[in-house]
Amino acid sequence: MRLPRPAAPLWVLLPALVLLPLLLLLPAISHGGGWGLVGDFAAAALRPSLEPLVLGSALEGLAITVAMALLGWAASLGLGLLLGVASSQLVWHTCGGVAWPAQLIRRLLALPRSIHELIWGLALLQLLGLQPLVAVLAIAIPFAALVARVVSDQLDALPVAALEGLRSAGARPAAALLTALGPPLLPQLLSYGGYRLECALRSATLLGVFGLGGLGTELRLTLQSLAFRELWTGLWLLLVAMLLLEQLLGGLRRRWAMPERLNLGRASVGHRGRELLLAGLALIPLLVILGWWIGIAPASDWRWQPLPPLAAADWPAVAALPWARLVGNTVLMTLLAAALAVGLAPLLLLLAQPWGWTRWLLQGLWALGRLWPPPLTALLLLFVLQPGVLTGALALGFHNLGVLGRLLLESNDHGQRGAEQALSCAGTGPRMALLYGRFSGLARPYLAYGAYRTDVILRESVVVGLVGATGLGSQLMEALSAFATDELLALLLAYALLTLVGEELSDRLRRQLRGGARPLSPGPAAATALPLLQG
Amino acid sequence: MADHGLERALLELRAIAVPGRRRPRLQGVSLVLRPGERVALLGPSGAGKSTLLAVANGLIPPSQGSVHWLGEPRGLTPHRLRRQQARIGTLWQDLRLVEELTVQQNLNAGRLAVWGWPRAVLNLLLPLDTEACTAALQRLDLDPQLLGQPVSALSGGQRQRVALARLLRQEALLLLADEPLASLDPRLADGLLDLLLAEAAAPRGLLLSLHRPDLAHRFDRVLGLRDGQLLFDLSPQQLERQQLAALYAGGAGP
Amino acid sequence: MALTIRERWAVALAGLLLAGLLPTACSTPTAPNGDADPASRSGQPLQPNAKRVLRISAIPDQNPEKLNRLYGLVADELTEQLQVPVQFIPITDYTAAVTAFRTGDLDLVWFGGLTGVQAWLQKPGARALAQRDIDRSFHSVFIANPRSGLQPISSVEGLRELKGKRFTFGSESSTSGRLMPQFYLNEAGVQLSDFAGGAPGFSGSHDALIALVQSGTYEAGVVNEEVWLSRLREGKVTTDAVIPIWRTPGYANYTWVVQPDLDQQFGPGFTTKLEQAFVGLDGANPRQAQILELFGAERFVPASNDQYQAIEQVGRQIGKIR
Repeated sequence: MRLPRPAAPLWVLLPALVLLPLLLLLPAISHGGGWGLVGDFAAAALRPSLEPLVLGSALEGLAITVAMALLGWAASLGLGLLLGVASSQLVWHTCGGVAWPAQLIRRLLALPRSIHELIWGLALLQLLGLQPLVAVLAIAIPFAALVARVVSDQLDALPVAALEGLRSAGARPAAALLTALGPPLLPQLLSYGGYRLECALRSATLLGVFGLGGLGTELRLTLQSLAFRELWTGLWLLLVAMLLLEQLLGGLRRRWAMPERLNLGRASVGHRGRELLLAGLALIPLLVILGWWIGIAPASDWRWQPLPPLAAADWPAVAALPWARLVGNTVLMTLLAAALAVGLAPLLLLLAQPWGWTRWLLQGLWALGRLWPPPLTALLLLFVLQPGVLTGALALGFHNLGVLGRLLLESNDHGQRGAEQALSCAGTGPRMALLYGRFSGLARPYLAYGAYRTDVILRESVVVGLVGATGLGSQLMEALSAFATDELLALLLAYALLTLVGEELSDRLRRQLRGGARPLSPGPAAATALPLLQG
Repeated sequence: MADHGLERALLELRAIAVPGRRRPRLQGVSLVLRPGERVALLGPSGAGKSTLLAVANGLIPPSQGSVHWLGEPRGLTPHRLRRQQARIGTLWQDLRLVEELTVQQNLNAGRLAVWGWPRAVLNLLLPLDTEACTAALQRLDLDPQLLGQPVSALSGGQRQRVALARLLRQEALLLLADEPLASLDPRLADGLLDLLLAEAAAPRGLLLSLHRPDLAHRFDRVLGLRDGQLLFDLSPQQLERQQLAALYAGGAGP
Repeated sequence: MALTIRERWAVALAGLLLAGLLPTACSTPTAPNGDADPASRSGQPLQPNAKRVLRISAIPDQNPEKLNRLYGLVADELTEQLQVPVQFIPITDYTAAVTAFRTGDLDLVWFGGLTGVQAWLQKPGARALAQRDIDRSFHSVFIANPRSGLQPISSVEGLRELKGKRFTFGSESSTSGRLMPQFYLNEAGVQLSDFAGGAPGFSGSHDALIALVQSGTYEAGVVNEEVWLSRLREGKVTTDAVIPIWRTPGYANYTWVVQPDLDQQFGPGFTTKLEQAFVGLDGANPRQAQILELFGAERFVPASNDQYQAIEQVGRQIGKIR
C-alpha cells in the first residue's frame, strides 16, 4: 500500500490546513466584549469624516509619508546598487582577481538586513533625535542591504560569456562589466526597485504608527482615541494612494517590459531607454523638493546625540529572561502567520474563481490587508480577542495575505494559462481547472516566494509586540520604554540571530523548490529572474 | 461513412462571425459535422482555422450565428455549456498537458468534467482508475509503465500520445485538432494521423486543421478557409488544383 | 542592430548614473532657508536648531484633540508672557517624548511621574518645574465593566479578584495607568501573567482605556483619577457602564520638566520666568481659567525632582528604570 503523495496543486493549499487548529482555538481566545466597537469601526468606513480640518491634516500626513517613502526608497536603491556591486564575486574577480572581499561584504550586510526598519527607526531616534531624516534612514538602511543582496545575486548569476568576450578583446574591467552586465541587469533591477517602492510606502506608514510622523501617526492617534470616522478618512486616502502607486508601477513595468515576480519570462528594456532616462531625471528634482519640504537639512540633521548615561549592565537579569518562551512564541507566531497567508491566498482564490464579482471583493480585501499596518490590525483584534501569539499571528497573517494574494492574482493575469484553458474547454468547472491547470505550475515558484515571505514575517513579528505576549517583540517594546540598553541589545542580537537562521532555512527550502522548477518560459532569463523572488 | 441521412449531426455551425481587430476573424461560416466524418480544415496562416476550432470547442463565443451540439443549441448557462464541452476533445498544438502531474493524473484530468470534488482531489493524492488509464495507453501503443511518470519526463512523441489518450479518457465524441502535425517529423506525423483517423470512427467525428494539402485525400471532407470565409466544402475527390491555388493565392503561402 | 546595442548602452549608463545621483540628491540641501518660519509647519516633524522657538510637548495620555486644544492655549499664553514664539509638538508615545527631550528636540514637556524621572535621569540637569496642586498626591482608580462581576474592594488585597480577568493598563510608561497600579497589584500578589491571556493589555491613553472597559473589550483596567472624574463630570461615562472598584493611595505624578540650558538660549532668568508663568496662572483671567480647567487644576505650584524619589524607587523595582 503506497502512502498518498500530494501532487503539486495540493502543495499550495496544504498550509491552509493551519486553519483547522486555528478555528478550534479561536473560541478560546475570543471574548466578544468589543463587538460593538468593531461594529462602530465598520460602520465608520462608509462615512469617513470629511471635515476640512481632518481631511487637511490627513492629506498632509499622507504627503509626508509618501515623501519619506520616496526618499528612503531612492536612497536605498542608490546605496544598494553600490553595495551590491561591491559584494559581487564576479566584479571582484574581474577587477581584482580575488573574490573574498565580496564574501566579507555580503556577510556584513546580513546584519542590517536582519533588523526590521522599525528597530532601525527607534534606534536612530535615540541617536539623531525626532526628525524626518530618521524615518528616511530607517527605510534606506535595511532596504539598501536587501537591494544589495539581490543585485549581487543577479550579477553573479548572469551568463559571463559576453564579459569574457570583451575581456579577451582587451577591454578594461570596469568598462567590460558595465557593457556586458549592465543591460541584462537593468530590467530586473527596475522591476525589483518598483516593488521596493511599494514596500517603502508600507514601511513609512508603519514607522508613522510608532510615532515617526506622517499618516501612520494620525492613524494610531485616531484609533487610540476611538475616533473611527477620522481614522477612515486617513485609511481611504492611504488606500487610494497605494492603489494608484501599484497601478502606476504595474503600468510602467508593462511599458518597460520588466518581469513580474512569479513570471520568470525573459525581459528587456528594449526601445524605451530614452523615456526611462527622462523619468529618472524627473525624479531627482522631485526628491530634492520633497526632502526640503519635509524638512531634511543635512547640515543640522547630522547632529550626533550623546547617548543617555547608561546604567551598569545587569547581565544576569538579562540572562534570566524567559528566552525559550520568547523565542518559541516568536517562531510559532511567524509560522502561524506564514501558513495562514500562504495557504489562505490560493484557497480564497479557488473559492472565488467562478464569479467575477468575488474577484473584486478579494482584491478589495487584499488591498485592505496590505494597507493596514499589522500593529493597527492587532489593536483592532484586541476588541474581540485576547492578547497573545494567536492575535499577533492573525494580524501579521492578514497583512501578508494581502501581499501574497496580489502576487497570485498578478501571476493569474500574466501567467501562462494553456493547461487551464484546455481543461475548461473540455467542460471542467472553473475551480477544478484552476486547481489542476494553474496551481500545478505555480506551486514551486509560489511556495518559494512563500518561504521568502516567512523570512519577512519573522523580521516583521516585532511590530505586533504591541498586543502583548507575542514573544521577543513585546519584550522589546518593554525594554524600549524602560530604556534598558542591556536588555535591548540582547533582544536585538537574539532577533538578528533568529532572522539569520530563518533566512538560511528559507534559502535552503527555496533552493530545493527551485531545483525541480520548470522554467515557465524558455530562455536564459528564467535562471536570472529567480532572485526577484526575494522581493 | 457517407450516410448523411437521418443521423443527428455532432456539430453544426450556422453563419458564424467572430470580430477581429482589423478584419473579421470569421464571417458567415456554416458547416455540419456528422458522426464518423473525418474533416480536414485547410487554409493559409491567419485564415481563421484556429478561431474556427475555438468556436467549435466553446473557447470563443461567436458574435453572430449559432452553434448546435447534438441538435441542441450551444449551452446558454455555464453549466449546460460545460456539459456539452465534456464531449468535445481538443488536441492542442502545444498539447497543454499539466507538466507537473503524472501521466495518470493527466489522463484522469480528462474526467474532471464529470467528476466531483472528492475524486478530483483524490486523483492528486493516489493513482485512480489505473485500469482505464492503462487501457487508454495501450490503445495508443504506450507502455503502461509510464503512468507514474511526470509528463515533464516524457519525450515529444510520448506527449502527443498522452494528450490523445486524455481525449480517449474524456470519452469525447468530437475530436478537434489544431495543426497537430506541424511540429512533428514526417514519421511521427504519419503515425499520429493514423491514430487520429482510426480513433475518429463512428460515433466519433474529427475536425483537424492542416497545413499539408497532400494529406487531404485521407479525409472524408476538406474545408477551405481563407480570410475568415469558407471557400469550399468538398470531398477530396472533388477537390481540384485550381481551388487549392485560389486558397493559397497571393503571398499568404502555406 | 547596432542601434539597439547603443540604446541599451545608454539605458544602462542612465540607470547607473541615476542610481548614483539619488543618494546625493536626497541629502543635498537646496533651499537656503531650510528652517524658515517653523510656525507655518506646525504638525510636521520638528526642526532641530531653530532655537529661538520654545518647543513644548506633552505625553499623549489623553485624546489628541483635547491635547491640541489645551497646549495650543498654553503656547499662546507663554508666547504672550515670555515674548518668545512657542510651538506645541504632538508626540505619539511616551518613550518618544522622553527621547525627544533627551535629544534636545523639546524644551519643556508635560511628563508623568515615571517619564519625568526617566527624562532627568537621561538628561542630567533637567528639572521638574511646576505641577498642578493635585499632582502632589495623585491617585489611580481601578475600574471594571459591570458584566465582569467585579465588585468594589476595600483594601489592596482585594485586587486578587482581578486574577483571570481581561485587564488593561494605559500606556507602558504611564505612572497612573501602569507603574503605581502594577506596584499595588504586586503588593496584592498579582503577577502580570495572572491575567486572562497571560498578559495585560496596553490601551494607550486613559480615554481609550475607559472606552475599552466600557465596551467590554477588557473586563477591568486602571485609570488616572483626574481623567476619570472629569469624564464622569462631563457625562462621557456613567457608573452604570463602568464602575470604580478601588482608589490607590496618593503618589506624586505629573510635572513640567525643563531643559537645563534654557537660560543660555533665551536669556538669563528665563527658566524662573517660565516657572512664574505657570505658578501665576489665575482663574480670574479668562484664558488662564480655561487652561486651568482643561488641566483639571485649581492652580500650579512649584515642583522639585526630590518629590519623585518614591516613583523612582517603584520604577526600579518594576524594571521601568534601570
